[in-house]
Amino acid sequence: MTAAAADSGLWSEAELAKFRRMTLIWGITVLLLLPILALLGYFMRLYQSGAFSGMRAEWFYAVLTLHSLGMVGTWFVGSMAGVSYLLLKYTRPNLAVSKFVYVGTLLGVVLLIACTLGGLFGTGWYFLYPLPLFAQGVWAPWATFTFFAALTILGVCWTIWTLDLLRAVAQRYSLGAALGWNYLVGKPGPELPPLVLITTVSLIVSLSGFVAAVIVIALFAARALGVNVDPLLMKNLTFFFGHDLVNITMYLGIAMVYELLPSYAGRPWRTNRTVAIAWGAVLFLVMFAFFHHLYMDFAQPTWIQKLGQICSYLLAMPAGVVSIFGTLALVFAARMKWTLSSTFFFLGILGWGIGGIAAVIDSTVEVNFHFHNTLWVPAHFHTYYLMGVVLIILGFIDHAGKELSGLEEKPALSKLTTALLLIGGYGFLFMFYWGGVNSVPRRYAIYPQEVIQGTLYARIAVGFITLLLLGILLYLWETGRRCLKALA
Amino acid sequence: MHKTGPQSRHRLPFRWSFRAACVAFFAFSVFIFVRVAFAQDSFGQPSQEPPNEERFVYKLTPDVPITTSSGVQNLSAIWHEKPVLLTMIFSRCARVCSPFLRSLNSAVSDAGGLGTDYRIVVLSFDPKDTLADMQRLASELGLNADPDWTFGVASPSDIRSLAAATGFWFQWDSSTQQFDHASLVVAIDRGQLVRMLAGPSVPAASLREVVQELRGKFVASYALAGKVAFRCFEYDPTSGRYSLDWGLALMLLPGTCAILATAWVFFLLPASRKKRNLI
Amino acid sequence: MIQMHAFYIFLIAAGLLIAAFLYVALSTRNAREINMQSAYGLRKLLFFVVLAVLVLGIGMTLGKTPYPKANELPGKVVFVVGKQFSFALSDTPITNDQDYEARTYGIPVQVPAGSLTEFRVMSFDVNHSFAVYSPDDHLLAQTQAMPGYVNRLRVRFDQPGRYYVLCLELCGMGHHRMRGVFDVN
Repeated sequence: MTAAAADSGLWSEAELAKFRRMTLIWGITVLLLLPILALLGYFMRLYQSGAFSGMRAEWFYAVLTLHSLGMVGTWFVGSMAGVSYLLLKYTRPNLAVSKFVYVGTLLGVVLLIACTLGGLFGTGWYFLYPLPLFAQGVWAPWATFTFFAALTILGVCWTIWTLDLLRAVAQRYSLGAALGWNYLVGKPGPELPPLVLITTVSLIVSLSGFVAAVIVIALFAARALGVNVDPLLMKNLTFFFGHDLVNITMYLGIAMVYELLPSYAGRPWRTNRTVAIAWGAVLFLVMFAFFHHLYMDFAQPTWIQKLGQICSYLLAMPAGVVSIFGTLALVFAARMKWTLSSTFFFLGILGWGIGGIAAVIDSTVEVNFHFHNTLWVPAHFHTYYLMGVVLIILGFIDHAGKELSGLEEKPALSKLTTALLLIGGYGFLFMFYWGGVNSVPRRYAIYPQEVIQGTLYARIAVGFITLLLLGILLYLWETGRRCLKALA
Repeated sequence: MHKTGPQSRHRLPFRWSFRAACVAFFAFSVFIFVRVAFAQDSFGQPSQEPPNEERFVYKLTPDVPITTSSGVQNLSAIWHEKPVLLTMIFSRCARVCSPFLRSLNSAVSDAGGLGTDYRIVVLSFDPKDTLADMQRLASELGLNADPDWTFGVASPSDIRSLAAATGFWFQWDSSTQQFDHASLVVAIDRGQLVRMLAGPSVPAASLREVVQELRGKFVASYALAGKVAFRCFEYDPTSGRYSLDWGLALMLLPGTCAILATAWVFFLLPASRKKRNLI
Repeated sequence: MIQMHAFYIFLIAAGLLIAAFLYVALSTRNAREINMQSAYGLRKLLFFVVLAVLVLGIGMTLGKTPYPKANELPGKVVFVVGKQFSFALSDTPITNDQDYEARTYGIPVQVPAGSLTEFRVMSFDVNHSFAVYSPDDHLLAQTQAMPGYVNRLRVRFDQPGRYYVLCLELCGMGHHRMRGVFDVN
């Protein structure tokens, strides 16, 4: 890939070396955050299994907040860093912006750690209004302020990064070209790499998500000054932001697969009319699908609830028919180079698909009535995160690490790593799904008598997480080594 | 290998655009500040809360026979066709009854739905009232020819059971030779009481809410204490209507900003205008 | 039970997807050129199959929402307030903290079996979720409890017994011990 970037004529060798270095720094940072945040998740399941019964529940909720926000943020920056690197072949993202965002992200992470582990701020990652202002003596006002300061810093930095990548795309492609409109009308034009198409769609959506976050934070400030805000409006804005952020993280991961998997399959994956239509549909549908987070707010107009279900269902079309089928068609009977990276890409698309199936099922209003805020919810989003975009990003870091270090992988170790991640990961996920089916609520530090089976499921999940962590450690050892060597 | 473009590409490319973004953000902050600073005190409870509505809501109404100009019929013959607004008065009333019925008529004209969503039944709880007395009362109010207003009488025992089930009370006061009684109109849907409005008059806004409920909808929001700066839709109890509020603009803002920012990046940034030579 | 039906659908669909991925992965052992026209044809078929399944799903489920319907009338109303960290249920409206305290610790509300009950749910502070669990500990019904709004949840209880209410929306440190209770008889 880097050879292709060098051949593009867009970069000097010195510039390219600096960008590679920055990408490695991002990659290593993601690899450092992964085990820490995973251990926080481990702690949560251990707490739910009764292992820390002497510890106050406030710790669970604080760790929950840090783990969830930390993971959402880590994989977002992982996706963005990966896509930035892959875009080097086609255009010129700005290195200074990447560095600036890196520093801002680190600062945001430090502040988040301070307010959660230091201040016991425990609202969960979507800080639903007005909960941050109802601490009940658990967290102090400084923790609330620090939390919003962290969100503001992260939001500003990530918005700037988004704008810069969009600017980089705009330097080489008109808006119509970047969205593949010439394919829609059948006009010949410059070839549009799928990476650029999906990135453009994702960045436009993420801009809208960040604006929603700014409005939410501004309205929290209004409430702090004594003026009420409509809680239903806040809920709509909060889930619009969260839904967008999580989805475009995944779409950027899918973009990386579109770009990198072809080289392993020995076949091209090009944009065509179908791909352009699919991602145009995603751009529209993803703006309305977020209503599925508010089905249980009966005060929301019924037509909006139904619109949410229809858009959520229809989003399965571009995902399933184009991206997933495209992956399968690309790999089918190909002279496939099965490495850790390509395996992770392939399995990541599968995980995204399985999580998507669970998500579509839960986006049925009638079903959501019984699944909303049970363990089915973390089941589906952990599936398309942990077994989806996380695998893809880890596959990318491995790919970049091999490319830049020159160190080959050990096939036996790769197979063992993959097996541990798959068995540990899907086993851990299954306990979430089974918990949801059996009415176990999500986000409970301790399970009461009515849902006491949740404690048993947590214990079983702990066993699987142990395998998962072993797999992560093996991966970190191998890939981390390569990245550090490439950086040196 | 060659460098493309001038040295300026290495600086942050947003120099003048950054200023524009700062101005936009400042304008947004001023808008929020002004909206918050001048936020109105929110309205009180949308309708006058009847004293005991909760004791009667969804209770079954006795299906008693009544005598009207159409002959003797059960109340269910009327509420099976349409929901019913039921009230009880007496024709010799020298105080609130006629003003109450006039205000109900006025509220009905304002709220609408008579004949399509509901009909009105006016019964007398005075054992001495006859059908002719009620028809005379209807004539005085100009309602005798209106097919959606039904004036009638029933037996004293039936009136008592109806009153007990719907919250009406009445008591003869020999000193004034008048009945002391509740001023009340209840909404009955398929034989079940769904709403109750009490008071000497019937505000149009309250009746509008009742009509909504008879249509299967209800006002889901209520006022929070203190000022409220943003809602998507604001319910105005004085008019009984919803109106758009600034909250809806806030919901549309993210998508609008994304479109504007995209247009700005692709069409306005100087570097973008020099593009496409490279393709 | 709807949760099990949804789970079976999930297992079948996920199973099919896993089978497809496994089949494709194993196919790489015999590398060969593929006919792109056949692939496009298969994609077209997949498009129509997926679309049909989704449209069928929408058609079968969109009408079955838990929202109050105009053509049904409940037989009983129960007023509910959620507040950190307990639910108060009452036959009469709960309008202030004193009512809330009294009803939190009062005798459970009695709800008739077989008749449609309407819960009018709101919150005095933050978002909660009013989630009704049956005597055999299945999640029967839920709605959000929000300040500034009243959500009307209508449920028909066929099984007599003691029903517990849990909070399903993270509301602070006592979220997991927030309860309510009522009896169906």
